[in-house]
Amino acid sequence: MILRLAPGTPEEAVQSLRESLEREGLRVLRSPEGARPILAVAGAVAGKLPPKLVEELRVRPEIEEMVPALGELLLVARAMRDLPSVVDVGGVRIGGGEVVVIAGPCSVEGRDAVLEVARKVAECGAHLLRGGAFKPRTSPYAFQGFGVEGLRQLKDAGEAVGLPVVSEIMDASDLASFLEHGIDCLQIGARNMQNFTLLKAVARANRPVLLKRGLAATAEEWLYAAEYLFEGGCEQVILCERGIRTFEKATRNTLDLTVLPLLREWSHVPVVVDPAHAAGIARIIPPLARASIAAGADGVAVEVHLNPAEARSDGPQALLPSELVGIVSDARIMAAATGRRLHRSPG
Amino acid sequence: LRHQLRSLDQVLLSLLDERARLVAEVAVSDAGRRAAVEDMLSRHDGPFPPQGVTEVFQAIDRHCAGIGAENRRSARGRAP
Repeated sequence: MILRLAPGTPEEAVQSLRESLEREGLRVLRSPEGARPILAVAGAVAGKLPPKLVEELRVRPEIEEMVPALGELLLVARAMRDLPSVVDVGGVRIGGGEVVVIAGPCSVEGRDAVLEVARKVAECGAHLLRGGAFKPRTSPYAFQGFGVEGLRQLKDAGEAVGLPVVSEIMDASDLASFLEHGIDCLQIGARNMQNFTLLKAVARANRPVLLKRGLAATAEEWLYAAEYLFEGGCEQVILCERGIRTFEKATRNTLDLTVLPLLREWSHVPVVVDPAHAAGIARIIPPLARASIAAGADGVAVEVHLNPAEARSDGPQALLPSELVGIVSDARIMAAATGRRLHRSPG
Repeated sequence: LRHQLRSLDQVLLSLLDERARLVAEVAVSDAGRRAAVEDMLSRHDGPFPPQGVTEVFQAIDRHCAGIGAENRRSARGRAP
């Protein structure tokens, strides 16, 4: 249950309410900001508060609205915020009516290579530079990434072209390296979406997190993973739809855009879409990117390589810089057509 | 249909705003613009009259010109 209190409710009244709920053995969580206090109540048996308590809450004048939660999705719930949340990644705001483009190589392939791609990504007008240094690969014989050295090269490239950077963390023991090298946004990949140890560790880092949807995760399971991050103290979460496993073999995965409007109803957390991992085929990425923004995505994430045929990972889904220009241009048009605008980095 | 017209007008205005923001960041020569409009006209086969296309884009360019010049002046004064 989520309790939305009247704007301007005195702090003493909020505390009194909180204590009365805690006396019932319930855990009370509070929204961090906003004009009105908003409390979420966790720990109820089968997700339901005792009827007697509900009746008592109904007559409390400070409670303006009691919103049933979807299961125990509390901190991520739309009712926990007056407005959809906005995540600041190194000065780039994700959510809140602006659309962003995240682009870069699948893997960091060396200092010169990543710098060259970063320059192209910035010239094309993308807003964040992505690049993998720790790569979760299906085959143990495939390129596993340059690890910490890759993080250093990615961050240096981002700084050289003025773009914040996003990179995937696979193991909590690497967290210190990500923080030390100033990685602006920690990506939790599809395979680790339900790695709860990693979620808890990353939550404590106080860095924006890009949380990819698991290969076979329902939207509800995905939001529970985000709930772990919020519960652990991380308020800066971005969801990333990247396709799910279905019976369809024509594409690498199936891009689930149906979930976007539902996520808008259920949650305040911004959502971006990675059409590249869904499609697995570079030529069909542009229409999927357009559809993603039309369906309400706060941004798209794509992979770029100067020579996709020679990419050390995911070459078939990598765009050329000339194709990235089209993605940014389309994002601008689709954002405007849906009452939003393309993010403009402060010059 | 009236509702659709209002929605289309809203999208047109949003696109014009977005275009104005973009113009504020880049300088385009008059000759370049004329060539771009001529290119669009050569591929245009919709019901909107060609003369109207030319006039609309001339009006857009006229109104955006001030925004672009002013913004680029202030951008030159900013630290990189």
